[in-house]
Amino acid sequence: MNKKAWIKDMKAVPFLLPFFIAYLIFTILPIFKGLQMSLYDWNLVKKMDFVGLENYVDMIKDPFFWQTLWNTTLFVILTTPTMVLLALGLALLANLNTKLKTFFRGSFFLPSILSVAVISFLAIFMLQPYSGLVNTVIQAIGIEAEPFWMADKTLAWVSIVGVTLWWSVGFNMILFLTSLQEIPDTYYEASEIDGATRWEQFRYITLPQLIPIGRVIILLQILASYKVFAQILLITGGGPGGATRPLIQYIYEVGFTQNNLGYAATMSYALFFILLILSIIQLKNQRLEEN
Amino acid sequence: MRRRVGVSLCLLSLLFLLTACSGLGQLVSGNSANVPDGAKEIKMWNLFAGGDAEYMQNIVDEFNASQNEFYVNNIQQEFEEYYTKLITSLGAGKGPDIAISHSHTLPELVDLGILQHLDGYAEEVGVQWDEFNTNILDQTVFDNQHYAIPIDTHPHIMYVNNDLIDQAGLLNKDGTLKMEETPEGFRAFFQTLKEKLPENNFPLAFPTVGMDGYRQWWTFYTQLGGENIVTDDLENPSYVLDTAKAIEAAEYMQKFWYEDEVIPLNLADFYSDFQSGKAATIATGVWSTGVWESTEDFNFTAMPIPTIFGQKGAWGGSHTLVLPAYEDADPEVQRGAVAFMDFATDHGAKWAQAGHIPAKDTVVESKEFKEMAYREDYAQVADYVNFSDRTIYYRGINDIMIRNLDRIWTNEATAEQAFQQIEKEVKELIHD
Repeated sequence: MNKKAWIKDMKAVPFLLPFFIAYLIFTILPIFKGLQMSLYDWNLVKKMDFVGLENYVDMIKDPFFWQTLWNTTLFVILTTPTMVLLALGLALLANLNTKLKTFFRGSFFLPSILSVAVISFLAIFMLQPYSGLVNTVIQAIGIEAEPFWMADKTLAWVSIVGVTLWWSVGFNMILFLTSLQEIPDTYYEASEIDGATRWEQFRYITLPQLIPIGRVIILLQILASYKVFAQILLITGGGPGGATRPLIQYIYEVGFTQNNLGYAATMSYALFFILLILSIIQLKNQRLEEN
Repeated sequence: MRRRVGVSLCLLSLLFLLTACSGLGQLVSGNSANVPDGAKEIKMWNLFAGGDAEYMQNIVDEFNASQNEFYVNNIQQEFEEYYTKLITSLGAGKGPDIAISHSHTLPELVDLGILQHLDGYAEEVGVQWDEFNTNILDQTVFDNQHYAIPIDTHPHIMYVNNDLIDQAGLLNKDGTLKMEETPEGFRAFFQTLKEKLPENNFPLAFPTVGMDGYRQWWTFYTQLGGENIVTDDLENPSYVLDTAKAIEAAEYMQKFWYEDEVIPLNLADFYSDFQSGKAATIATGVWSTGVWESTEDFNFTAMPIPTIFGQKGAWGGSHTLVLPAYEDADPEVQRGAVAFMDFATDHGAKWAQAGHIPAKDTVVESKEFKEMAYREDYAQVADYVNFSDRTIYYRGINDIMIRNLDRIWTNEATAEQAFQQIEKEVKELIHD
């Protein structure tokens, strides 16, 4: 490296430093602190006894850890494929050359700009029994039913998944949309001359071109879904009777209401490793295919 | 034109930045109040909202006006995360000089060593312990030392809409209810209501999930003679729930939803159902008295939950004032803090405006309190409130109880199954 380039690089340092310090203190440091905590009996006020791997052994034996981990995994399984399909469908719709193009783009993306508290309370008002919009509409079209969207075990999942899709599909749609627009028109022109139908164009040009971004969306979606917490806490509170309680809510309860930060940190580490392994598998796959 | 827009945008963002900065400055220093010259500032944290917050502020204002040695700076905190914030702040030595705590959280705070007993200051200030209701005061004593001064108890009681009850023919001439105080009589009362009420009304407003079900269950469990879930041992309690009585109380309640169908399932907002005159009765905490009272043309009666199972008993909490422990505490500030606590309990009638029952018997017997409508009708409940078990695991046990009882109320589990699970979980939590 010559001297000039080195000086040029150094110029970046003062610009990077403020963020880097904050990043170090608020992200990197807590990661190691968390590891230390997971080896201790540690409450909200102070560090108490060193317990080694005892918290980890407890975790493996804790049925709630597995139950809430399964609830979170179920959420991932339910939302990831539906999210990809829905985002793709909406992106295709928003990419159509119609007068409604701007309307589609705007309305699909709009929910994403709202905060989780806002969308959760909107959902609660719409889904609540006796006076909510959804049940009123159902009854207006002649169906005599009073479904409990948030209190019934199965329907609670339908509601949470539905609300999450509605809320966050916009961002994924934009990712698909940008990819769609990057596909050169020449591909379509050439295929048209060769006599390809619309379906063949979609099947052999559009879809293959969307695979890389699709993979990114799946990875982002899995990582984000494993961290699900706020909308479930706000809409069902993890209920009914813990049926929708995700792992992060359990970690939160153990840490802050049972006053056991050590064990909470242990479970956070378990989640961290699950996400790490998933990311590695995903990235490996991607590299293999790229080669 | 474009440049002008740019300039005004810049000015606007500068304005935002400036207001944000000054707001931030206030947050960091915590000095949002104007402490008068020569007065010592006493920082107080409270967890109140709505009417409660307003009445507490009135008491603080009165205290500040009554003397010029101290100035209580009342800082309102958000309720949901209050205890987490309080515990971590006190652990870091950066908390307030006075804090509000519920009586059931005291064991945890005392055990963590973040509170200081206040006997010395109480003597200096002249706190009259014998003026307090002993049932309430007992909750604040640990190892024969006072760790808090209680300001109230707030039990669960019942409210009835007089017009609807009268319409159903269930109101006696003297204003009492036509109800036999037995398990069957209590059910029959609501069944009659169901029959006689107009189609759009329903007998009882009550939520299907959450803490209210747990509190109502606790009331019936106590009435049946049940006392605890775990023993009153701070750190090493053992599990002593009377399972037979626990199941009996839960099964009795479950019938209200599924057999008698006098409570609609999963009500979205049971307070507004009662307030808007849809529901004929409601079972909830005394803090709602102020809410119903301020509703126009609302004709209601407040009453204790009828003693249907033989023994008197009710769920109730208590708000107390505590003195956080600091290594470098200023004794003057702490003395002022205890002086304020004493003042607040003496002015309990002001606090009772929200609906709470004042902790001092002398206040309950005062003319000011007796002149208030409704409160006296349920003030006697203070004597037989069965407070939660005194253990550091209170908050954990509370979570377990609510989550599992909810499974009964939503018909996901039988009472037997739920209490098996409760036993397992609570034992695990308390290492029994």
